This record gives sequence, C-alpha cells and structure tokens, in this order.
Amino acid sequence: EIRVLDSTAEIRYLVIPQRPAGSQGLDEEALAALVTRDSMIGAGLALAPAAAR
Amino acid sequence: MSYASHADLGGKPGCGAIVPEPAGELFHDAWEPRVLALTLAMGATGAWNIDMSRAARETLPDYAELSYYRIWLAALEKLLQERGLVLPDEIAAGHSLRSALPIARVLAAADVARTLATGTPTQRPATASARFSVGQRVRMRDGPFPHHTRLPSYAWRKRGSIERLHGMHVFADAHARGDGEQPQWLYTVSFDGVELWADASARGVTISIDAWEPYLEPA
Repeated sequence: EIRVLDSTAEIRYLVIPQRPAGSQGLDEEALAALVTRDSMIGAGLALAPAAAR
Repeated sequence: MSYASHADLGGKPGCGAIVPEPAGELFHDAWEPRVLALTLAMGATGAWNIDMSRAARETLPDYAELSYYRIWLAALEKLLQERGLVLPDEIAAGHSLRSALPIARVLAAADVARTLATGTPTQRPATASARFSVGQRVRMRDGPFPHHTRLPSYAWRKRGSIERLHGMHVFADAHARGDGEQPQWLYTVSFDGVELWADASARGVTISIDAWEPYLEPA
C-alpha cells in the first residue's frame, strides 16, 4: 500500500522514520545523526549507523 | 473567471522530473534568506495574512519562470504596493523616498525566535457541528474558483472518504479575500489513486488532502 499526503495539507506533518537496523543502543544524539530530511517526508529511509558521519 | 492559480500543478503533465535539492542546502544565494526574513517580518505586521500571501504568489504572471524565493520577492512587492506601503518608484530606486506609513506591529529581532516557535495556529473553537463523519463518502466541489482556494484541481468532482476531522480552522478561501477568518470544519479526505488518475495510477495508492467543509458534498 502506498499512502500519498498532499504537501499543501493545512495540517502539516512529518514522518517518523523507521528505526534503522543496528541502531539499538545508540543515544539520542547518535540517532539524530541518522535522520535525514528525506526520511521525515517519506521520500527516503534514515541512514544506517555505518553510513552516518 | 479572471482568477488563475499558477501553483495548482498537482497531476499536471509537462512539469518535468522532480530534482531533489541536496540535503542541508537551504539557499542558493545570499539574497534568498533576506527575502525570507523580509517576508516574515512584513507578515508579522498584520498588513496581510498568509492566505493573501499565497494568493499574491500564485497569481504572479511569470510564476512558472521564477525560482521559489523570486516568487516570494515578487509577491512581497505586490502586497506592499497594493497597500501603498511601498510605491513603484521606491521599488525602482531600491530605497524609500517618503516617510513610512504606520503599521500595527513591528517584530523586534529579540522576539523572532519566540514568534516563529509560536507560529500562527489556524484552529478556532468549534461553533457548529461537523457536517461529515469519519468513513463518510464525499464528493469534492467542481472548479474553477474565482479566488484563492486550497482545493487542488486534480480533486475537483472526485469522490473520496472522510479519514479524519481536525476541528474548525480559519477558512483560507475567505481569509485570502479579506472576508475574515470564517472558520470551517477541516477534514482529511482520502482518494483511491484510480479515482484521481484512472489507468495512470498504480494499484494500492491512496492520496489524501485536507479539505474544508465548503469543498465537500455528500457522495
């Protein structure tokens, strides 16, 4: 199933990215480094821990 | 109808592929954040509302040729000149040529962060019952509309279902015309992709929009 939300919706939203595999045990700051713009608008996945700077 | 929105692009062919901007790159040039700041500062004066801003932007004749912040700048100049806050000779000169007109409110630099964090919420107390309920089948009204509206043309006359109620909110159509807030019930309406795009839609696609009650009829 694909859900599309028109971005001009009056009620603005953000997507909570799915937690990446291998990120258990990371603290908030480390987890935040995995979150991308695209992952918050449903256009991409959050980074895997090994890929983050 | 003399009103035409050039921003009503959803589902229209000929716009080309979407090229995502690199993540973290907010501005292309140093003047863009100045336009953002000027627009927000003038919006805070109460001289116009956001719905009037959107109407000003979407009716720019050269909308299709302008970048995002050039649209903001052109609309800002239009809104200022419509109200006599800046006159055409001052736009041309690049500085003021006469004393400023009074405005209701000046946003001080020290208050910017707090003001932006507060935002301008659009929800208002519910003063009427909602006409539609979750799960109900509805049909969108048909356009075109002789004013700013938030009903995209791809949804005109299309049938969907009420997914959620959001309470009563400032009604953009009335607010943009200067007719006051006229709060209306706001709904999320969901459509099957096939209803909107027919054979061009993949299966299993659901598209949702936010629609105020005046946009809806029972299906």
